[in-house]
Amino acid sequence: MSEESINNKENQMKGTSLNKCLTECEKGEEVIVIRVNAGRNAKTRLANLGVVPGVKITKTKNAPFKGPLEIIVKGSSLVIGRGLASKIIVKCNEACLT
Amino acid sequence: MSYHSPHNKSRNVINFKDTINIALAGNPNVGKSVIFNQLTGLSQTIGNWPGKTVERMEGHLAFLGYHFNIVDLPGIYSLSTFSLEEIVSREYVISKKVDIIINVIDATNLERNLFFTFQLLELKVPMILAINQMDILRKRNIDLDFKELERIFKLPVLPVVAIHGTGVHQLLEEAIELVVYRHPHKHYKKRRSIESKHHSHHYYRVEHVHERSKSEEVIKKSFSFPDLNQVTSFGKEVELKIESLSKMIKSFQRNLSSYNYPLRFLAIKLLERDSEIIKIFSDNEEGKEIIEVSHTYREELEDIHGEDINTIISSEIYSNIKKIIDLILITKIKKNKKRRTLADFIDHLTTHSIFGYIILIAVLFGIYFSTFSIGDFIAGLLDDALIVWSDFIYTSFGEDNVWVKVFWDGGVGGLFGAIGGVLVYVIPFFFIIEILQDSGYLPRAAFLMDRIMHSLGVHGKTIIPMILGFGCNVAACAGCRIMETEREKKISIALTSLVPCAATMTIVLGLVGRYLGFYWILILFLINFSVIFIVGRILNKTLPGQCTELIMEMHEYRLPNYVVIFKQTWVRSKEFIFKAMPIMLILGIILEILLIFNALEPVNVILSPVTVLWLGLPAITGVFLIYGILRKELSLVLLSILANSLNVSLLELLTPIQMVVFSLVTMLYVPCFATIIILAKQTSWKFAIQISLLEIFMALLVGGIINFGFQIFISL
Ligand SMILES: Nc1nc2c(ncn2[C@@H]2O[C@H](COP(=O)(O)OP(=O)(O)O)[C@@H](O)[C@H]2O)c(=O)[nH]1
Ligand SMILES: [Mg+2]
Repeated sequence: MSEESINNKENQMKGTSLNKCLTECEKGEEVIVIRVNAGRNAKTRLANLGVVPGVKITKTKNAPFKGPLEIIVKGSSLVIGRGLASKIIVKCNEACLT
Repeated sequence: MSYHSPHNKSRNVINFKDTINIALAGNPNVGKSVIFNQLTGLSQTIGNWPGKTVERMEGHLAFLGYHFNIVDLPGIYSLSTFSLEEIVSREYVISKKVDIIINVIDATNLERNLFFTFQLLELKVPMILAINQMDILRKRNIDLDFKELERIFKLPVLPVVAIHGTGVHQLLEEAIELVVYRHPHKHYKKRRSIESKHHSHHYYRVEHVHERSKSEEVIKKSFSFPDLNQVTSFGKEVELKIESLSKMIKSFQRNLSSYNYPLRFLAIKLLERDSEIIKIFSDNEEGKEIIEVSHTYREELEDIHGEDINTIISSEIYSNIKKIIDLILITKIKKNKKRRTLADFIDHLTTHSIFGYIILIAVLFGIYFSTFSIGDFIAGLLDDALIVWSDFIYTSFGEDNVWVKVFWDGGVGGLFGAIGGVLVYVIPFFFIIEILQDSGYLPRAAFLMDRIMHSLGVHGKTIIPMILGFGCNVAACAGCRIMETEREKKISIALTSLVPCAATMTIVLGLVGRYLGFYWILILFLINFSVIFIVGRILNKTLPGQCTELIMEMHEYRLPNYVVIFKQTWVRSKEFIFKAMPIMLILGIILEILLIFNALEPVNVILSPVTVLWLGLPAITGVFLIYGILRKELSLVLLSILANSLNVSLLELLTPIQMVVFSLVTMLYVPCFATIIILAKQTSWKFAIQISLLEIFMALLVGGIINFGFQIFISL
C-alpha cells in the first residue's frame, strides 16, 4: 500500500491518475476513500465516524479562505479541517467515469 | 469469571423499593437530553465527573414501584480513549454503579449510531436500544423492522419519539424487565400482543409489582448477556487473534478481578493499543508478555490488511452494520428524492462565504443585545427594591452600625449585587445559548472560523465558547470542555476569558458610549480583539503540542424544543445560583470588612504608581479596579456613586482619555472572580493565575501606551 501512495504522488504530478486528495475534489462530487494518511489519533477518529477506505463520500461545502470542508459520509455531514482533508486520498466514483 | 458477567452483583435479592441505575448513552445530538428531561423532570443535578472537567447530569424518578437513577452520559462516537468524555463514559458504564444502559440511537443516522452500539455491546452490560426520532424517519416514508432488530440483537429495541414522549416510559418498563426479572428476550411476544393497549399494559405491570411485593422476594435467574457472536464478529484473521489473546488474558484473570471488562473487550482494546487497558496489564511481567503478544498480533494484522488496526476494526464493524441495515430498513416509496427544505436554505446562507460572516456578526450582536437588555431591565427593578429596603434598614438600625455594614451592605448587598449584576444577565444568557445550541447554529460558526482560529493554535470549535463569552464568561469558560486536548482547552479558555462579556459592556457603554460616542466603542473592540489575537499567538507559541484538526459533525437545523430549552436554562441557572453565588456573597462580606477598617485606602496608595503614574488615572480608581474583579460593572457603578456624592458629572471626574483607558483596562485586566474559579476548575490554579497575570500585563501595556500616546499627541 505504501508503494501505491508513492505511485499516487507520481501520478498526481503527471496528472494522469484518478486518485487525488479530498481538497482537490469539486463541490458536489462523489468519491471513494482510498486511504487516510493522517496520524493515529485523527485516523481513528475518522474511522470511527465512518471514513474508512472503500466508503463513498460526497463533498458538499468548502469553507471560504481555504477553511475546512464538509462531506457527507453514511448519510450525515462531517466537517473536516483542510489540513486533514488534504491527507485523505480519494478516487472518482465509477459512476462519474462512465 | 466474575468479570465476564459483570452483573452478578452481591445484590441478589430485589426488594420492592429497589433502585435501578440507568446510563443514557449515545452519539451527540440524538435526543438523550430530551429523553432524560422527559423522565426526570426538574429533579436533576449538574456536576462534574470526579476529578474530571466533564459535565455529569444526573436525575431521579419513581416509576412502577422502583426508584430510577439516571445518568445522561456525554455524547460520544466510540469507546476509545482519545477524549475525556470517552474515558469517563467507559469507566462509568462498566462500573458496578450501572444496572442497565439505554443506548439512544438517532433513527435518521443509523449507521454511525450503530457503530457506537456495537462498541457498547462489547461491554456486555444489559442494554436497551432506544431508536429515537422515529417521527422524522417515518416522515421520509421509511420504517424499521423492530422485530428483526430484536431478533438480531437479542435485546429490547424500542421505537421512541422523545419530543412527544412516545415510548419513553416503556424504556423503563423494559429496564425493570431486564434488571429485575432478567429475561431479556422472552417477554416480547407478550408485549407485542398488548402493545396497542398501553393503559392495560401499565395496569398489568402495576398489578404485577404489587403481587411481587406480597411475596417479598423474587428468585431470579442470573442474567447472561446474549451471545451476539454472529452479529459482532469481525473477519476471520482478526477473530483468531482476539480468541488467542482472550485465552491468554483468561489465565491472567486474577489480576483483573477489580475490573468488569469482558475478555473479548480487553483483547480488542489491547489490539487497538488502548492506553488505559495497556496500563492495567503493564504492572507485572505476565501482563507485559500479553502486551508484547498483542503488539506482534497487531503488526501481523496490519501487514495482511495494509491498514492500521483501528481502521481495520472500524471497517469490520461498519460492514457488519451495513448487513443489519439491509435487513431492517423498510422503504415504502422507492424513489426518495430529497427536497430542498428551509433548513437547507438556512444552512446554505449561514455557511456562505459572505452572508455567513454577516450573519455571524449579527448573531454576536444579538446575543449581546438581548442578554443585556433583558438583564438590564430586571436589574433595574431589583435595584429599586434594594434601595427601598436599604432605606428601611438604615433608618431602623442606623447607617453606621457595624453589623448593618457587614451583613446588610456586605452580605445582602453582595447577594443583590450577584443577582442584580450577574444573575439577571446569566439567566437570559443561558436561555439564548440553549436556543443557539439546540437549533444547530454554533457548528456553522466553527466551520466559518476554523481557518482563522488555526492561527491562534486551536481549531474552529473554539469559536463556540467564545461566542458564548459575549453573554457571560463564566458559563462560556465552562463550555470550553468541548475541546479535545488539554492544550486546546487551555488556549480556548484563555481566549474566551478575554471576550468582553455583557457586564463589561455596561462599562464601555456607560462611559465611552455615553460620553465619547460610538466610534470609540469600535476602537475599544478592535483593541480588545487584537489583544485576544496576541494572547492566542503567545499561547500557541509557548504551550507544548500541536494544533489538532477539526473533525465535527454538522447537524441539520432544527426547530429548538422549548421544553428542553426551559428546563436546561433552569438547571444551569440553579447550578450557578448554588455554586458561584455563595462565593460572591463571602467576597462581598470580606470587601466590606476591609472597607470598614479602611484597609482599602492603602490599596489606592499601593496601586497609585500603576494607576496614577502609568495609566494616568485618579488614585481612587485603584479600589474600583479591585472591586471590578468581583463584578466587572461594579467599577462603573462605584465611579458614578463617587461622582454623585461629589456632585459632579463623570465628565468632570475623568477626562476622555482617562475614560478610554479606564474602560480598556477593565475590559482586559483580569477575568471576573467567578470566571477565574471556573478557569481554575477546568485547568489548574497555576494556569488560572498565569492567565490572570498575562491579562493584567496586557491591560497595563495597552493602557499605558494609550495614555502616553495621547499625552505625546496632545503636547505636539
Ligand atoms: N423530531 C424529533 N426531534 C427530536 C427527537 N428527540 C430529540 N429531538 C431533537 O434533537 C435535538 C437534540 O436533542 P438532545 O436531547 O439535545 O440530544 P443529545 O445531544 O443526545 O442530548 C434537539 O433539537 C431535539 O429537539 C425526536 O424524537 N423527534
Ligand atoms: Mg445532551
